[in-house]
Amino acid sequence: MKINYLKKLIAFGFVGVLSFFLASSAGAFECKIKKSSMAKPSGYPSRALTMIVPYGPAGGSGQIAAAMAEAVTDLTGVSINRDHKPGGSGTVGMTAYMSAPSDGYTVLEHIDDASSAHALDSSRPNPAVDLIPLVISQVTFSQIYIRTNETRYNNWFTFVKWVKAQNGKSTIANVSKEGSMERVTMKFITEATGMKIQQISFDKGAPRYGALLGGQVDALFEQPGDVRKFLDSDKFKPILTVFNERPSVFADVPTHKEMGMNFEPLLRFRGFYVHANAPSDRVKWLQWAFQRAYCQDSYQKFNESKFMTVIDSYRDTQGARDLIKSSIIQYRNVYKDMGLNVK
Amino acid sequence: MIDNFLAGTVALFGDPFSILIFVFGVIGGMLFGAIPGVSMLTLAAILLPFTANFDPAQGVMLFAVIYCTGTYGGAITAILFNIPGAPENAPTAFDGYPMTKNGQSGKAVGAAVLCSAIGGVTSAVIMMMATEPLANWAISNIGPPEIFALVFFGLAVASSVGGRTIWKGWISVLCGLMIATIGQDPVGGINRYNFGFADLAAGIAFVPAILGFFAVSEIFVQAEKKAIGKYVAPELSFDFPTIIELWINKIAVVRSIVVGFFCGILPGIGATLAAFMGYGEAVRWSKNKKEFGKGKLEGVISSETANNAATGAAMIPLLALGLPGGAMTALMVGVFQMHDLEPGPMVFYNSPELIWIVFSAMFYANLSILFIGLIETKTILYLLKIPFQFLAPMILLLSSIGSYIGRGLVLDVMIMFGAGIIGFLLRRSGYSIPGIVLGIILGKIGEQNFAQGMQMVHYDIFEYLSRPICLLLIVAGLLTLLAGVYRAVSFSMK
Repeated sequence: MKINYLKKLIAFGFVGVLSFFLASSAGAFECKIKKSSMAKPSGYPSRALTMIVPYGPAGGSGQIAAAMAEAVTDLTGVSINRDHKPGGSGTVGMTAYMSAPSDGYTVLEHIDDASSAHALDSSRPNPAVDLIPLVISQVTFSQIYIRTNETRYNNWFTFVKWVKAQNGKSTIANVSKEGSMERVTMKFITEATGMKIQQISFDKGAPRYGALLGGQVDALFEQPGDVRKFLDSDKFKPILTVFNERPSVFADVPTHKEMGMNFEPLLRFRGFYVHANAPSDRVKWLQWAFQRAYCQDSYQKFNESKFMTVIDSYRDTQGARDLIKSSIIQYRNVYKDMGLNVK
Repeated sequence: MIDNFLAGTVALFGDPFSILIFVFGVIGGMLFGAIPGVSMLTLAAILLPFTANFDPAQGVMLFAVIYCTGTYGGAITAILFNIPGAPENAPTAFDGYPMTKNGQSGKAVGAAVLCSAIGGVTSAVIMMMATEPLANWAISNIGPPEIFALVFFGLAVASSVGGRTIWKGWISVLCGLMIATIGQDPVGGINRYNFGFADLAAGIAFVPAILGFFAVSEIFVQAEKKAIGKYVAPELSFDFPTIIELWINKIAVVRSIVVGFFCGILPGIGATLAAFMGYGEAVRWSKNKKEFGKGKLEGVISSETANNAATGAAMIPLLALGLPGGAMTALMVGVFQMHDLEPGPMVFYNSPELIWIVFSAMFYANLSILFIGLIETKTILYLLKIPFQFLAPMILLLSSIGSYIGRGLVLDVMIMFGAGIIGFLLRRSGYSIPGIVLGIILGKIGEQNFAQGMQMVHYDIFEYLSRPICLLLIVAGLLTLLAGVYRAVSFSMK
């Protein structure tokens, strides 16, 4: 009788702990902006906002812009027209934005490329100074992937060994434009491991992923959200996470630090900005709208589908500035090491 | 397969809302495809948020239908006014517009309607039969080295299209290739020829260049003729191509289906390369190469068959592997994601009904091009009755809007007018406008794949040529170039 009671108690305790764990993980997301509404300053905005997106509608930036615009509109009732100006690794969109009126009616979506571009050439706008970050709503890490049915290697150790044996003849697909996050991170990795690997730059996702699927390249450098469908369908598997700790969903994948690579990981981040000289009351309203929109169910669902809830994806204005500034310093140091002409 | 197809047909036409979406997609695609600048992509981007309220199959089906009919839609304006609705319709203008000037607009439009339908339907049937194995074959065997070889093979024949001499044809292609290098290099991201202008870092966009070289230069040419009293309005013609004319070109149709399908199946390539390659192959195999660019029916047939044959093929890597073949299929990924779905192998297992509704819809959309196209043609040809003094400003206005709307840059309108002036001067000197446009479009694709391909073979030419497809295409391209030189030298010695 006592044993049964004990069993029930243990079972109850187990269920209780499990429930607590599930409840705490389900409630792990907590909206940092408590105010659910904010009065419009002097009637602003009295018309639709324009969001300049420096990339095409189908890519990662196009998708986050659509998701955030929908969330802001649902929250505030203010429409947002998206104006895609792709080209030049975001340069065309940024230039168009800087010449747009700074009345708070035009906002900008941009990624960490804006920070690395400023690090290389200080005449380019500094997103932390020349712009005011409204929110950074996606922060993610990178991983190295191989095909799940790969027979030549199956983990980071065997991959490094195999690459070294190829004597520079192995290949990895990424977006390795000069000074990009991918190229800088690969520099860290190859230096730390002594690997020689040919980086093949694909600017579009489909040919990049197709190259790994079809065996045209030996590995892929990418962020998990972009290849989620290949992970879910068991076509790709990660063998290295470039982050300081193992994210829970990739608990069996070693981090670069565990593999003896002692560098600070560069993160991919996407966010929304407004001109630094926009009227301050309008900026405050925009900060509230975009930061609160991050908490909308539709936006959270979108981020979850992109693996963007695996680590903390949210940075408010100050957090965003800190992230941008530290990235710029890190990029600049690396560029100098790489012998690039840092202006 | 037949059972699944019939089930898809019943699901498509058994629901009034699905029928409504289907009809909307057919007509919307044709309209937006026909208006320069506002392509089927514009319509798709506008509709994307609304698809959240549709059933997933209805959403994806709508985009697939727009893709089929939008690819055809741009042929009409290319033929009647030298304004390709989209880059994939540019080769249609090479011979389609000269046919209009020769009083054969009915034949050209009729051939475009029929061949778009044939190319699209055949492609849809192959797609239904062998999506998964074809996708796996394509990504395993065709990489950047092979795509570059394919582009080289295509460019080798371009020199013989439209130029007064083969040398002028080649110079035209080289000019196009030079223009294609403006902007950031596709691999390292280094700026070239942008002279410090940030907007030029993105390079010369296809649409303004095409509108300038084709539509604007044509307005200048006709305006000059009008000014000196030599202008002759194109004759209105409702003569459709005869069965015999179509039968004579049966090889061209089959060849373009194969070429278009092959190009469409490659991730990131799509219908534009398909149309240019289809046209190029028609020229290569023709005994009367000189007739191309002057109003040859085979030119229209080849281009329009190939670009529609690419539509079904582009769905193959998307549905089987989750790899979109171009911008339109990339937007379809957005539709899938709005419904918590991901295109790729699992869709075949998790949502087979969706796949077969989409397959059936594409089949019927291509068939409807035939019926609606033939009905609308009778009406649309009357546009040629508009006097030149009214038509010219309308075309310039439409072209300016079309150039501006893509990126919202005044620079693109300036590029359009600049290309128009250069095109006008080059045409007077016997250079080839199709050659320049071909150079611009294939140059961008070719350069990127050349750089990637060289990295993949570690800059070793022997390793490059050890890939059988590369060897075959490069040798065939070189032989084509040599044959061209031989013909040119023989001609000049006579």
